Amino acid sequence: MRIKVVCHYLGLLIIILGCFMLFPLVWGLVSGESASAAFAIATAITIGMGLVVWRLTPVGEGRLNRREAILLVAGGWILASLFGTIPFALAGTFPNYLDTLFESVSGFTATGATVLHIVEDQPESILLWRSITQWLGGMGIITLFVALFPVVGIGAAHLVEAEMPGPEAGRLTPRIRDTAKAVWLLYLGFTIIEIILLIVAGMGIFDSINVALCTMATGGFTPTNQSIGTYNSVFIEGIVIFFMIAAAVNFGLYYLFFWKRQPGQLFKNPEFKLYMALLVGASLFVTLELILRSDLPIGSALRQGIFNVTSIATTTGFSNVDFDTWPAFSRSILVVLMVIGGSAGSTAGGIKVIRLLVLSKLTSRQVRLTFNPRAVIPLRVGRAVLSEKVVSSIVGMSIAYIAILTTAFLAMCAVGLDPVSAISSVAATMGTVGPGLNLVGPAANYGFIHPIGKGVLMACMLVGRLELFTMLMLFVPSFWKWR
Amino acid sequence: MYIIVAGAGTVGFHVASLLAEANHEVTVIEPSEDVVEGVRRQLDVKTIVGNAATPRILREAEVNRANLIIAVTNNDETNMLICFLAKELGAVMTAARVRNPDYSGYFITAAKSPSAARKVIRPKTLGINLIINPEVEVADAIMGMLSSLYPTPGESFADGRVQIREFRVDQGVLVDRPLDAITFPQPCVVAAISRSGKTFVPASDEVIQNGDHVYLVAHRDSMDEFHEMFAPPQHPVRNVVIFGAGRIGFLVAEGLEKHGLTIKVIDESTDRCQEIAARLERATVLQGDATDPDFLIEQGVPAADAFIATTDSDELNILCSLLAKNLGVSRTIITVNKPGYVPLAEAIGVDVAVSSLLQVASRVTHFVLHGGAISAPFIGGKDVQAIEFVTSTTANIAQRSIAEAGLPKGVVAGAIARDDTVIIPPNNSVIHPGDHVIIVSSLSAIPAVERLFK
Repeated sequence: MRIKVVCHYLGLLIIILGCFMLFPLVWGLVSGESASAAFAIATAITIGMGLVVWRLTPVGEGRLNRREAILLVAGGWILASLFGTIPFALAGTFPNYLDTLFESVSGFTATGATVLHIVEDQPESILLWRSITQWLGGMGIITLFVALFPVVGIGAAHLVEAEMPGPEAGRLTPRIRDTAKAVWLLYLGFTIIEIILLIVAGMGIFDSINVALCTMATGGFTPTNQSIGTYNSVFIEGIVIFFMIAAAVNFGLYYLFFWKRQPGQLFKNPEFKLYMALLVGASLFVTLELILRSDLPIGSALRQGIFNVTSIATTTGFSNVDFDTWPAFSRSILVVLMVIGGSAGSTAGGIKVIRLLVLSKLTSRQVRLTFNPRAVIPLRVGRAVLSEKVVSSIVGMSIAYIAILTTAFLAMCAVGLDPVSAISSVAATMGTVGPGLNLVGPAANYGFIHPIGKGVLMACMLVGRLELFTMLMLFVPSFWKWR
Repeated sequence: MYIIVAGAGTVGFHVASLLAEANHEVTVIEPSEDVVEGVRRQLDVKTIVGNAATPRILREAEVNRANLIIAVTNNDETNMLICFLAKELGAVMTAARVRNPDYSGYFITAAKSPSAARKVIRPKTLGINLIINPEVEVADAIMGMLSSLYPTPGESFADGRVQIREFRVDQGVLVDRPLDAITFPQPCVVAAISRSGKTFVPASDEVIQNGDHVYLVAHRDSMDEFHEMFAPPQHPVRNVVIFGAGRIGFLVAEGLEKHGLTIKVIDESTDRCQEIAARLERATVLQGDATDPDFLIEQGVPAADAFIATTDSDELNILCSLLAKNLGVSRTIITVNKPGYVPLAEAIGVDVAVSSLLQVASRVTHFVLHGGAISAPFIGGKDVQAIEFVTSTTANIAQRSIAEAGLPKGVVAGAIARDDTVIIPPNNSVIHPGDHVIIVSSLSAIPAVERLFK
């Protein structure tokens, strides 16, 4: 493994990150905030460090191999999280470095779990930086890197594969770089449209930018404590719902929609159909319970139900009401939705709907094989038959997900959380949702958790965002050895 | 360019890898899922599992916007069908690997009598723009090597007036001297140097080392005067032993026979020996094991001028050519299937290893570049290419000199051929439209060179 070559690319990655710090810097300067100084220094440090590393390391001959690509992705995410803390640390946003790191990891993984007690107190440039970290992490900073710089050859494909969530997600075009460009272009386009719509709907420019950046990333940071509830506007909630769903749908379908002029593919896609059914079903049950058990009028039950279910199911983590006050069945639905997450090839987290689909088909096949062991039953998703290899990797990934979820749940209980808070905090961080239930509900924050617990949750966020194996590989000794 | 490669066998894989690395959009179609898995792991290309000879799969591969489709499945008929369908569905260019000479008409000329064999296939009616036959390409290359004086081929450009030839440095006056301090007897350009398996375009202060292979661009008539500076020439081939009577072995035997050489063909299979003995006119066909030294000595192999091993097994080819070399054969040529063996085989003493893959790859790359480049053979391995451009009136470089236009790094201009004159070295002459310019370039710099001629 050529560590130096990986460092070369990491240097370049940090430079990109530094360039994005310029946005809050400029915003801060224009609105005359004291935090601008922090951003000026942070930008200088980040770009400077990046330049030094980039200049001092060789380009390296030949292409990146798989290990190097994985190391680059994992290292890129960790470094981005570390460098992302610099503005927070310099501005003194948080009382200690662990909290700073937690916020940064939560930002880049587009989780949206915050340790801030009062969001509104913070300078606008700090809030903007929080949103930008989410936006970068949402579609993937490595994918952006591939789109911007020519990493020719299979190396680029390894990079994008290691970062893009979901089985078989990724390649839309013969050259992976065109794919990276296409998804980032779509992502940018959606974001800009949402900003414009939110402004039209009456949200302030600054809030619109922040909310749009975090919606498309399915992140969940907002510039206010009350999340989307602050604005108390059905119109705004409608727009946010639309874009949350848009962000949690496989971007490959948009590619077919806009580039290949095959809009029908969107509605034929089995994952899309199941996902929509899940959203509608969950919203319906929650609304019904809110009407029957909480005695809410139909209108506000629908509004609360649809918005919060969508927000959780797309792993965004916005809220328009404290859904922790809901009755038990609705809250349980939310936890299940956190674990399932969104579609493959989107910005959402979780196990992914496509895996759920395959697992359920696998179960049905297993049942049928029990009474007719000689039957040969292929696993179909749409018209495609899945190979056993793909099926087994999906099963493996799902089991590993549940295993990590369980382990982390026990760890969180061990550091003193009650079971409901523990399971929801773990599900909300692994699924990159953000708010959980009870102590970590939408009205609370993660600030009170024991330092060890914060470490566990940060690991959950990174592992969940990169779909387990990219991160886990770093802990396998043979990954580092020559053989 | 958007290129579809149908069939991910060794040739398909290699061509796809070469094209993807040259930053073209490539889609590979292949029926075997395991093979596709391998392609996906190693190449930055889109893959489709399925039979490329069906319109559905071709449509899925967006054949309508393909600039080129290369059909290299292991079945001639399938390849021709793929090209036919692709052309119907809108592909711009098609290339098919066709092994059976009866289809391609490679060696069959128009018959005089109606009953004799004739070209049954006119590739154009099938929608095939280029027929690739790897065996024929290799056989041609081997025959080219034997007809020249040196155990490596010379490439000809501008109707043969300009040549690039490989010379081997062996303890001569050149060792440890930088290029710009060497005076050559005739005007020439050092186009490339091949050192320990890597070929590169040298800077003007590159120091020559012992064992280097130096590629010189010069006028055909002055080529002979460079001999004394390099390793001594070998006497012309008279007796040739060919081990392995497969398609390539047979084609080489047949071709060399026509050049009046004495041929012995050895093969292990009795059936194959009988078959080709009937088809060859004068050659001696021997059934036996070429790894048996006693058999080789008995058949007079040590006195042969060249030993060619063309069996399907790379390892066997390498081994028995080393054995022949050990017995005293001065020139050994082998074919290898794995391109990775080429530098290896040459490092341990085989004079030339010919890879059908590299031959096919050069043919395809030439085709891809078709625009202004009329010929583009690889020099050495697959790192460096010599390209003959025909300057168009609108070319960026027209009416300018090469020194003025400035060539990218890793590129050298070899010669300009205009009407009856050949200009070597060409750097300070103004290029006129219609001039043939021979450029030697590393693979990565080719796009920049192409821009100059666009």
